Amino acid sequence: MAAKLTEFYAQASSQYGVMGRMKLAMLTKIPSEKAGNEPDSPDNIKLFQQAMHQLKQAA
Amino acid sequence: MAGNITESRKMKITTKLGLLFAGMIIVFILLGVTLLAQMRLVSNGYDALLASPVRDIDAARVVQVNFKKEVQEWKDTLLRGHKPADLAKYGKQFREQEAAVRAGAVALSRTVEDQEAHKLLVQFIAADDVMSAKYKRAYDVYVAGNADFKAADALVRGQDRAPTDLFDKVVQRLEARVKSTVAAQQLSVRRNQSLALGISAGLLSLLGLLGFLTVRSIVRRLAALRNVSRRLANADVEGLSIDISGKDEIGEFGESMKGVRAAIEELLHVAQALSRAA
Repeated sequence: MAAKLTEFYAQASSQYGVMGRMKLAMLTKIPSEKAGNEPDSPDNIKLFQQAMHQLKQAA
Repeated sequence: MAGNITESRKMKITTKLGLLFAGMIIVFILLGVTLLAQMRLVSNGYDALLASPVRDIDAARVVQVNFKKEVQEWKDTLLRGHKPADLAKYGKQFREQEAAVRAGAVALSRTVEDQEAHKLLVQFIAADDVMSAKYKRAYDVYVAGNADFKAADALVRGQDRAPTDLFDKVVQRLEARVKSTVAAQQLSVRRNQSLALGISAGLLSLLGLLGFLTVRSIVRRLAALRNVSRRLANADVEGLSIDISGKDEIGEFGESMKGVRAAIEELLHVAQALSRAA
């Protein structure tokens, strides 16, 4: 289970709503359903962190 | 092959098209250079032909005509030299032609490259010497005998036959040499033409093949991109695989499509969750 990646979605949802989830999916190319099956690898975590940073900047 | 395709996909489409265009220009420059080299080769070949065999045959024909004039002048001397003035006139013309034949034959024997023709010319000069000596004696007899052309003619009758035959052989020999040189030159031109055509066809075929492969690759990937785009436009992301890789413009577009697919999937997921909650 990719607990950390799923956590990013929860964070995006709480901070930026549905639009944030959609943008996170667009930036990482990994939707939340798939994120749950992806490994919490350093690369994936870095990818999501960068996407979150972009969301924050765009907000 | 797969490696080459991967390598080619790392290149931007603009770079590929630029390289193809540059390749075409290089090929046409190469063809132009080949054509110029070909023309120079042909020109040099015909220059060489004009420089020796044609020059020799021209000089030989001049000597041949002068020799015939010399014999004619001798006949004029005998037939029309009854008066001292006519004798002096025709005698002078005969000696001028005799000198011209001698000078022409000697000059040709010095410059002619063909060994057989040179040998024939040496024989002609010797035969001409013999004939001239006999003509001189016959002329003296003619003058001493008060224009008795029969006695003089009896001394030289048929004496021009040997040098005439010899010089005809010289001309034939040189004509044959010109013909063989022209034939060799034509063969060389045909060979070079075939070579130039072969190189041109090879280069153009290679360029055409590269162009065809590049265009086919672009068109196939664009078709795949169009299918993906149509499905995304209908939010039809179920089982949608976006297998458009590469670092060129199409590859970049494919990567963007993956983001769009993920966004649609996420929206559908949210919509489903909301529907369930309702």
